[in-house]
Amino acid sequence: MLRSVKGFICRPLKLDRGFALHTAAKDCFSSVVSQDVQIPAEKPRAIFYTSESDPARHSEQHEGHHYSIPLEEVKAVLPHGLPHRFQQQIKTFKEACIMVRKPALELFTYLKNSNFAHPVVRYVIYGERGTGKTMTLCHVVHFCARQGWLVLHIPDAHLWVKNCKELMQSSYNKERLDQPLQASFWLRNFRTTNESFLKEIKTQQKYVWSKRDSTEQGRPLGEVVEQGLTRVKNASDVVGVVLKEIKQQCCLGSFRVLVAVDGVNALWGRTTLKKEDKSPVSPEELTLVYNLRKMMMNNWNGGAVVTTLSQTGSLFKPSSAHLPHELLGKEGFDALDPFVPILVPNYTEREFESCYRYYLHCRWLQHDKARTEDGKEELRFLSGRNPWQLERLAAPL
Amino acid sequence: MAVVAAGRVLLLGGRWSAATASGGPSAQTLRLIYTTTAAWRKNIAASGPEKYTEAFIKKQIEEFDLGKRHLANMMGEDPETFTQEDIDRAIAYLFPSGLFDKRARPMMKHPTEIFPEQRKIQWGEDGRPFHFLFYTGKQSYYSLMHETYEKLLNVQKHQDQLAAQGISPQKEKKNLVGSRWVTKTELEGMLLEKLSDDDYSRFIRLLEKLMTLPCSDIEENYIKKFSKEIAVQLQKVSVEPLKYDEQGVAFSTGEGVRKTSRATAVVYGSGTGKITVNGIDVLHYFPVLQDREQLLFPFQFLDRIGKHDTTCTVSGGGRSSQAGAIRLATAKALRSFVTEKEVEFMRQAGLLTVDPRVRERKKPGQEGARRKFTWKKR
Repeated sequence: MLRSVKGFICRPLKLDRGFALHTAAKDCFSSVVSQDVQIPAEKPRAIFYTSESDPARHSEQHEGHHYSIPLEEVKAVLPHGLPHRFQQQIKTFKEACIMVRKPALELFTYLKNSNFAHPVVRYVIYGERGTGKTMTLCHVVHFCARQGWLVLHIPDAHLWVKNCKELMQSSYNKERLDQPLQASFWLRNFRTTNESFLKEIKTQQKYVWSKRDSTEQGRPLGEVVEQGLTRVKNASDVVGVVLKEIKQQCCLGSFRVLVAVDGVNALWGRTTLKKEDKSPVSPEELTLVYNLRKMMMNNWNGGAVVTTLSQTGSLFKPSSAHLPHELLGKEGFDALDPFVPILVPNYTEREFESCYRYYLHCRWLQHDKARTEDGKEELRFLSGRNPWQLERLAAPL
Repeated sequence: MAVVAAGRVLLLGGRWSAATASGGPSAQTLRLIYTTTAAWRKNIAASGPEKYTEAFIKKQIEEFDLGKRHLANMMGEDPETFTQEDIDRAIAYLFPSGLFDKRARPMMKHPTEIFPEQRKIQWGEDGRPFHFLFYTGKQSYYSLMHETYEKLLNVQKHQDQLAAQGISPQKEKKNLVGSRWVTKTELEGMLLEKLSDDDYSRFIRLLEKLMTLPCSDIEENYIKKFSKEIAVQLQKVSVEPLKYDEQGVAFSTGEGVRKTSRATAVVYGSGTGKITVNGIDVLHYFPVLQDREQLLFPFQFLDRIGKHDTTCTVSGGGRSSQAGAIRLATAKALRSFVTEKEVEFMRQAGLLTVDPRVRERKKPGQEGARRKFTWKKR
C-alpha cells in the first residue's frame, strides 16, 4: 500500500548469512532505526520466519512460517500470478514473503510422489473468499519452477471471458473468436517465465500463419512465440500451437509440465462478451478457452494440473458459492472429474499469530494499540482470521 | 374622558378634533388629534396570563365531575369508585394517540391540575387589602417568614421550659439524607408569588436553624410541609444468574432492540470468540467492518474478546440496526458473567441503554421530516 510513505523502514534480509543487515532508513517521520533494535528483533522474527527459500525443502516444521523469495526470482517466476494487493505489498516491503501453509505442503507431497507415467492428476484448490487460494497456487508455481518444470501459469482465466475490447474472428476456424490482446499479454509473460525451455522445445510440424509467415518443423518454440508477439493478429493461434506442442512433447518425458490456472471456473461458465450481432458468446467459441480446455483434460501424462476456483472474478455466480460443484457447474465438474480437491481454510491460530508478528516486524502496524494483546484480539475478532480481511484491516493501521 | 370615548366611537382613525361637548368639569377639553387601530388593539402579552374567575373554575369542576360519571358509565364501571388512574386508562383507550410528547396527548384531569392556581383579588370592594402585609409587596413570603420564626420561638420556649424542669432534651439524629428542601420554583408555586434567590436562601436558612434545635420535634409537621423525599434510585434491574446447559457449560441470554430489529443472543461461558448469527458465521452475515465492530464492543469493553461463544437470532430492520440490536442483546447477556461494578461501567458506557432513535415521520407541507420544499422567491 502507498502508506509506505508514512514512516516505514525497509530491511531486506540476506538469507544465506542468517543475520540481518539493515539498509538506510527510508523515511524519517517516526523512524526508530537503531543498531540494538535489530539484534533482539532477530529472535521474534525467528518464530515466524524461516530462511529456507527452496519450497522443495518445506515441511510440517515450517508450517506457519514465512519464507522470502528473492525479488529477481519473483520477476522471473511469477510476473503475473500474484494478487494485486500482494504485489503492492512486495513493493512496499521490498521483499516477497509467502506463508507456508498446510494445503501447499499437501500439494507438494502429492507432486513429489506422483507417477509421471500415469495420466495427469488434476488438483482443484477451493475455499472461501480471501483464504489464500491464489497464494497457494503461486507457492506451488515457485516450487515447480525451482524443480525445473515448465510452468504454464494462467493468472486469471476470468480475464479471458470478460472485458475484451477486441474480438476478432479466428482465421483458423471460422466459428471461433480470437482475443489478440489477452493472448499477446500472456505470451509475453510466458516467455519471461520459461526462457530456457523455449530454446529446447522444437516444433514437430510446420505451421503456416499467413501467406508470407510460416514456421518450419524443428524450429525452437521461441520463434513461434516471437511470431505471436510480433504478429498480434495470430497471437491466439500461437497460444493454441504452444499448448499443443507442449502437450505432445511432455508425454515423451524430457521435461515436466505444470499447468496452473487460477479461476478455472471461468472456462465453463458464461461470458459477458457479445458478438457483433449482440448474441452472447459462449466460452467454447473463444480460441483461448477452447485450447485451454484441451489442456485440462487428462489424456496426457508427465506433469500436473493445479487449478484454483475463484468466485471473486466469476460471472453470474452468487457470492456465497465457493464449492466446486457450485462454481464449476455441471459441465465443468464433469470435465474436471476426477480431481483432487484441496480446501484452503482461514488462518489457524498459529498462522494468524505468525502473520500478525510478520506485520509487526515489518512495522506495518503503526498504531500503538495494535502492538498490545488487546489489539491482537481485536484484529483476530474483526478479521475472523480471514487472510484477506486481516490484510485490509492492517493496511490503515 | 367621556368626550374622548364618545369621539372614538364615531370615526375609525383619521383626524378629528374633539366635538366640543357641553364641557365636563375640567376646563380643558382634550383633543385627540390622531389615533390608529393599533392603539386600541388589545395588547395580550402585556396583560399577563389569562385570569380565571372563581365562578369559571367552579363550573369547570362541576363539568369534570359530570364528565367523570359519564365516562364511568361508558366504560361500564361504577361511577362512585372511578379513580383518576381509571380515567387516564379510559381516555387512552378511547383516544389512542401516537404522539411522543405525553403532554400533547388527550387528557382529562381535575381542573385544579389543569388551570394554574392564581391569586384571588387581594383587596375588598373598598380597596382595602385583606392581608396586613399587603404593602410589603411579597405578603405571602413575609407572612411565611413570620410564621416560621414564631415556630422557632415556640421551640425555644419549650426548650427553656424543659431546661427549667431539669430535663435535657434528647435529639435523635433525623435522617436528612432521603429528603431535600423545596426548591425555589416549588416554593413560588406554594406561595403564588415571585421570590428572589436571596429570599429563598433566607427562608431555607431559617428552616435549617429550626431543624437543628433539639426540641424541633414538636414542629415536625410544619417542617414536613417544606421538605420532600428524594425519589428512590432508579429501579434496580436485577441481574439474572447464569444458567447451565446439558454439557455443564454456563450460558446466559439477552434481548436487544434497535429501530425495528429484534435480537436474542445466547452467550456461552467457554469459547473461542466465535459468533453465529441466524446460523451463519458473523463474517458472512456482516461483511461490513462497521457492523462487526459494533458486535465487538461489549466484549472489548470487558476484555473478554476470545472467551465467549455467541449464538444469536435477529430479525427485522436493516444491517446497521440488526448489528445494534445484537450488541445490546450480548451486553445484556454478559451482565450475568460480570461483577456489579462492571455492570455499572457498562451502563455508563451506554451498552445497556436501548437506543430510542426511531425514524421521524414526514410532515405535510414538507418534503421529508425536516427538509422543506425548495423555497422560491416568486
